[in-house]
Amino acid sequence: MDYTWDFGSVFMYREALYTGLVGTLRIFVICLISGLSLGLAVGLARYSVRRALRWPAAAFIEFFRNTPVLVQIFWFYFAFPILAPFDIAPLTAAALGITLNSAAFSAEIFRGGIQSIDPGQWEAGRAIGMRHRDIMRRIVLPQAIRRMLPALTNRGIEIFKMTTLASAIAYAELLHQARLIASINYNPIEAYTVVALAFFAILYPIVRATYALERRMARGD
Amino acid sequence: MYQWDFTVVIQNSGLLWQGLLGTLSITGTALTFGLPLGLILALSRLSPRRWLAWPAGFVIEFFRTTPPLVQLFWFFFALPILIDIRMTPYLAAAITFSIQSSAFFAEVFRAGIVSVERGQWEAARAIGMQRPQAMRRIILPQAVKRMIPAFTERAIELMKTTTLVATVSYGDLLYEANELAQKTFRPIEVFTVTALIYFVFIFGVSLCVQAVERRLAVSGDSTVR
Repeated sequence: MDYTWDFGSVFMYREALYTGLVGTLRIFVICLISGLSLGLAVGLARYSVRRALRWPAAAFIEFFRNTPVLVQIFWFYFAFPILAPFDIAPLTAAALGITLNSAAFSAEIFRGGIQSIDPGQWEAGRAIGMRHRDIMRRIVLPQAIRRMLPALTNRGIEIFKMTTLASAIAYAELLHQARLIASINYNPIEAYTVVALAFFAILYPIVRATYALERRMARGD
Repeated sequence: MYQWDFTVVIQNSGLLWQGLLGTLSITGTALTFGLPLGLILALSRLSPRRWLAWPAGFVIEFFRTTPPLVQLFWFFFALPILIDIRMTPYLAAAITFSIQSSAFFAEVFRAGIVSVERGQWEAARAIGMQRPQAMRRIILPQAVKRMIPAFTERAIELMKTTTLVATVSYGDLLYEANELAQKTFRPIEVFTVTALIYFVFIFGVSLCVQAVERRLAVSGDSTVR
């Protein structure tokens, strides 16, 4: 254990790490927004009265929940460009893989949240003459989303961690930049330690907030 | 229109089998070490002694909130510099996924232990049992039964996470598929088949889990979170 730690060599390349952080945040925001909205759409389809909507939604959810994200990213990066008539950037491939995966997981959260709402709410809505769509949008969803908040925050944290997979196809996010710095300076210890701590520092406060939220929900409901 | 041709995949299916074995072997190793380690972490975190509870809590939170790929890179590239060992992709993956999954298993254990009614503890104390005795003979047997679905869910998650070892050139299913795709110039067929293999395998396991869950629900020990 006589290794002398030298974080100065990482600090020297802070510009590269900053680029990586911007790359991580960019793909995170893209996947969070598109993943959750697609998840809501699929979740609603899964709960629909029409079979033509329900079955494809169920197949989508099961397929993407039961295959590893990295396989999906590789598929979109290496296989998809041959089928599609356009080039696929690493960002697009990684964002597609992570988005579809999180859509499948969040669809199940939305479905569970909607189903947890008391049937009386539906009946009351119908009694005052609202249609299925209106009841869903104005009565059920607002209550369901409040209940789903902890689960959705957890999904967000998962998505943030998943963004590191984009480094496998050379997208310039935090981990990829750290790898770059490590190979220039031969200082993998410092480079990877800094990145691990960066992720912990960003995500741990959010995790604590989720715990607090869960406790408040448990008391409120 | 693209001409699909699966013959190269079928000709080289031996390579994919070998990859699947690699995936299963790393999943099995991580489970073997991760489960007991998770139990130790959970018991330490629940311990009334602070010098045990705090470090355990830190390890659990740290490994849950950092990306597994960062951990894998750290153990693969950084650890061999700190301590003098010859790091292989398999060893790095085994260490990473054992510790990483143990952090998640610890939370499953903890939730299960906490879910057992307080009356059980009080009853154990009333007949003169010590805390470790009550934990081992009264609480854990009840808790473990409730935890089975959460465990299998975690195990499935673990199997999906093991695909990361392909990035440090351990011959798992994804790595072999990547090799095959580059050798045969047939990435579509190879990666599609690979995705399907993972799907069939993992979906099969999930179906079994659902059956177990229904059985447990019937016996009144529903565990679904």
